[in-house]
Amino acid sequence: MRSKVFCLILLLFFSYVRSLAQENAYFHQTEVGFLWGKGIKNWDGNYLNRMDVSISTFHGVKISSHHVLGFAVGYDQYDQISLIPIALGWRGFLGKENKAQLFGGMDFGGGSTFLEKKETNQWSSSWYEGGMMIHPMLGVKLPAKKGNWALSASLGYKRQQLSYFQGFLDGSGQSSFAPTTGSRLPSGFTSLNETNYLFHSLVFRMGVMF
Amino acid sequence: MKTTNLFIALLLLTSGLFFSCEDQVTTTYTYRTMMPVYLEMSDVRARLITTEPAKPLDNPGKIYIYQDYLLVNEPSKGIHILDNTNPANPINLSFIPIEGNMDLAVNDNILYADNYVDLLAFDISKISNIKLVNRVKDVFTHLYRHDTGQIITFKDTVITTDGPRWEIDGGWALRSDMSFTANFSAASKSYGTGGSMARFTLMDGHLYAVDESTMRVFDVQNAAEPKFIKPINLGWGIETIFPFQNKLFIGSNRGMHIYDASTPHSPTRMAVYEHVVACDPVVVNEEHAFVTLRTGNFCINGVNELQVIDIKNPYAPKLKKAYPMLNPHGLGLAGDFLFVTEGKHGLKSFNVKDVMAIDKNQLEFLQNMKSIDLIPGPKSLIVIGPDGVCQYDYSAPSKLRKLSCIQVTNPVIIS
Repeated sequence: MRSKVFCLILLLFFSYVRSLAQENAYFHQTEVGFLWGKGIKNWDGNYLNRMDVSISTFHGVKISSHHVLGFAVGYDQYDQISLIPIALGWRGFLGKENKAQLFGGMDFGGGSTFLEKKETNQWSSSWYEGGMMIHPMLGVKLPAKKGNWALSASLGYKRQQLSYFQGFLDGSGQSSFAPTTGSRLPSGFTSLNETNYLFHSLVFRMGVMF
Repeated sequence: MKTTNLFIALLLLTSGLFFSCEDQVTTTYTYRTMMPVYLEMSDVRARLITTEPAKPLDNPGKIYIYQDYLLVNEPSKGIHILDNTNPANPINLSFIPIEGNMDLAVNDNILYADNYVDLLAFDISKISNIKLVNRVKDVFTHLYRHDTGQIITFKDTVITTDGPRWEIDGGWALRSDMSFTANFSAASKSYGTGGSMARFTLMDGHLYAVDESTMRVFDVQNAAEPKFIKPINLGWGIETIFPFQNKLFIGSNRGMHIYDASTPHSPTRMAVYEHVVACDPVVVNEEHAFVTLRTGNFCINGVNELQVIDIKNPYAPKLKKAYPMLNPHGLGLAGDFLFVTEGKHGLKSFNVKDVMAIDKNQLEFLQNMKSIDLIPGPKSLIVIGPDGVCQYDYSAPSKLRKLSCIQVTNPVIIS
């Protein structure tokens, strides 16, 4: 149901964007870069740092000469885990148009884990669930000499939640168990390990805007 | 100017948030376990048991058919009484609250039910006025912790703790279904009289009650005055009991025991038919015993099959033929027709007149009828599954017709 609603919103949004694009109100930004983070402390007290790829594409509507509202989808890698961040976003520009500009932005949304397959065997099941994501950023926009194009580079902070679940199935195959309602144990499981990750990442990305 | 300040603020925020932070990992471990509950039997006995208005079925256990009534156990809580005069429209009449109740049987208008360590006898000749007429004390003594009258029972509980439990990842230490007390929870999940997963059974004026290791014999020739005669040790892993022609067929997770009950107060062992560890209900006719083995619970062995065992000589049962099945849970025999519940795979019906060609005589395989157990009743085939307690017209065994389903708040989940 949720995905249906989401698809519908996307569809409406794209149709709206298409109509706006003709009026030059459409704004687009695609960037590729990396996420860097200080991982958890290792057994010897050192940190295991992360350095992974991050891609984002932002589609928006110019609501005034300096402000854009829209949404972003992308791809973030956190060690072995691939996330699809989906967010609503804002971009604000400082300076004159057609000159180098500073910009700030804020993406707010969640990460989807649909690239990570749920693994289930006879005894257990494990899966990921994405969580909330906030990504404030600062960047520069360097317009091309001709046309609408501009190079962009941004530096930001990304806060991403992620959960990993590993549960053991009720082998009796016929469990029905009242206390599970409202508890943290999904029905059909006898135990569940829930690991919640909170990733703090420095994000550096470069790309184009138009 | 204003916007510049905003940018600086944003920059400070960004860097401030980031550079002080490292990734955080928190872990919780949620598990289901059996929490011990201590009760004084004197307190339990002091509580008055009076019939209450009908309650919705929550997580029904055993179902017993008596005349036009369905008696449905709510494990450790009590017994629902339903009027099943019209199987297409069963009516929930009342509820008898009985703590610690796991099983029931009816003999001559007397309902027997366990109440922790005691056996209760209710007069149900007037269904609107059910009366407790007798209490046989201290018979299911395995619940006693020691001689002081305190009993120990276990309550299914979900506990969440901080921190991972990788050390028991393989799932031994705290997995409730692996513990001894799992037998208790297994008991709460045995369904059906007439059904193959029963634990109380009546035959020849005697009540036989099996728990995980013992069969207890009661003389109920005077129905309202049940007398405890003796316990008979059976060995571990006892699951079901099926009476047939002065014999008791007891399914355990190691095999099938056959007891001669022609002297009803003192059944004697005729034979033990042993096989690999598996969960196995039993049904019987004159010549053959039908046993299903399945994987799951304690019985992980990879065998899912229906075995036909020749019992013409009950002292020497012989495997006649085995048929592969998908995940058989319960089974029911009605004349020449055998119904097998295949868990999440559905329900199968067979004509078993020719036991050597059961696989060739499959009548129906209803894949959308997920089911755990069934009871071929006089009016309907009662099937227990995720949809609740459903009844089917099986007057034409090759074509089941749905009559009704009783909604259940916590239906069984088939994984």
